[in-house]
Amino acid sequence: MNLALLDWIIIVVYLVGCLAAGIGMRKFVHGVEDFAVAGREMRVNLGMASLAATELGLVTVMYTAQLGYEKGFAGAAIGVIMCLAMLLVGGTGFVIEPLRNAGVITIPELFEKRFSKRIRWLAGLFVALGGLLNMGIYLRLGGEFLVHATGLPPHWLEWVMSGLLGLVLLYTALGGMLSVLVTDYLQFLVMGSGIVVTSVLVLENIGWDNLLASLHSAWVGARSGSSPPAAHPFNPFHRSSFGWGYLVWQIVFQIAVATTWQTTVSRVLAAKNADTAKRMYRRTAFYFVGRFLLPGLWGAAAFVYFTQHGGLPEGLTSLTAMPHYLGTLLPVGFLGLVIAAMLAAEMSTDSGYMLTWATVIYNDIITPTLASPLSPRSQLLLTRALVLGIAMFLLFYGLWYEMPGDAWDYLTVTANIYLGSVFTLLVAGLYWPSANSFGAGAALVLGAVGPVAFLLLGRKYTIAPEVAGSSSFALAALGMIVGSLATSSKAAES
Amino acid sequence: MKDPFIVFWAVMIFGSIAWYGFLVFYVGFSAGREILELVRVLDKASR
Repeated sequence: MNLALLDWIIIVVYLVGCLAAGIGMRKFVHGVEDFAVAGREMRVNLGMASLAATELGLVTVMYTAQLGYEKGFAGAAIGVIMCLAMLLVGGTGFVIEPLRNAGVITIPELFEKRFSKRIRWLAGLFVALGGLLNMGIYLRLGGEFLVHATGLPPHWLEWVMSGLLGLVLLYTALGGMLSVLVTDYLQFLVMGSGIVVTSVLVLENIGWDNLLASLHSAWVGARSGSSPPAAHPFNPFHRSSFGWGYLVWQIVFQIAVATTWQTTVSRVLAAKNADTAKRMYRRTAFYFVGRFLLPGLWGAAAFVYFTQHGGLPEGLTSLTAMPHYLGTLLPVGFLGLVIAAMLAAEMSTDSGYMLTWATVIYNDIITPTLASPLSPRSQLLLTRALVLGIAMFLLFYGLWYEMPGDAWDYLTVTANIYLGSVFTLLVAGLYWPSANSFGAGAALVLGAVGPVAFLLLGRKYTIAPEVAGSSSFALAALGMIVGSLATSSKAAES
Repeated sequence: MKDPFIVFWAVMIFGSIAWYGFLVFYVGFSAGREILELVRVLDKASR
């Protein structure tokens, strides 16, 4: 075990503080509007803290470090694209401005106004399915980090995951978005401090010049055949790294994430107005570079460290190398701070995601099927029960599912189950008057084909993630255009 | 001359560390005030 008494004290103080703040907010929850979107009282700086904390989870740290380990700094090119996408959307208000002005709680709710009740239900189903499958691996990856960084016995992983989820569940189910906002704020502070401290310590330990020289020599060695194949560590356009095809897909993908990813959009919907949401996007944009690049730096440093110390020890992979490296690097006190920071990252993401998907299931899958509306008390009870159900799903799915390929590829492809189609529905619904519910239905179904094929057949047949992902966007757009134009007279009649 | 990609990543890495450090203090202060304001509004509404 790598943790000393001081580390434990830091971790326990952080956990107790978070739990107390989260549970304390439950007294302000009187209805689903308070529970799901915090009464729409969120302002720009709190929005920034919440968005940043939710979108930087322990799972993010793990997969971005894996990208850094395998692709060097070039692995963070996705963060740069994400930053540009946030600036574009925050600068123009593309999709998010009309979405916030519509006054809806979730994206599918807008589809009922624009298309039909059926489309809302179907979109809700896809959004929830894609979101839950995407979130399914968070706990396992988070648990892997904690076990490797702290030196806990590996069989403790399930207990660590369960305990962490129990804490998050308690305050999310009781206080909803209000608890999530306040705990996100605390978690943002702890996580931000931990990331800065860790990055400085990693640079000091490995040395900047040594890092650059070692990454470069690994690449040169791979080209001459004297060391295993490696990707270009600095140039993401090189064919050994992401290559052009993958990066072009990522440009479309990240614009879709910025406008469609329900956990990001839920901050837009909780914002005081559209202008607050746009400012929140612009100010958070550069944060997304560091979200990929700083853990990527730790991963690249882990690669150099193990290369210079006799190779990766048995049992470690490109995914678990970084936490193991941090466990050997960080001194007493700092390790406690970093573990608290990573717990913060995990908890803020889990709480935000559980709340978001529970809200979608309640608002868009269950509510449209009810003959008469539930009482406010029953609505709250049902949403809380859904949060509990999602927690149970996470626990069991996280234990048995084995990813086909890298964590990052799994996450992008599962997100694409609905990103491609819902993005198409949003853009067409808001900006194309000829879009109709026939086209919307075709876009939803066709958009899910590529990602589902990757998940079911990705082990048996080699399907490139960019092919599965970009086919999702192309098929959804095709479905919308052909479906809408082919049925325009039928839609006009109905 | 240095590889332009290395210069780019160096600027991004040190810029990100500085930006994260700044945000912790700036957002820590301003979002803290917004939480107090939020609690005041909700408290008034629940009475």
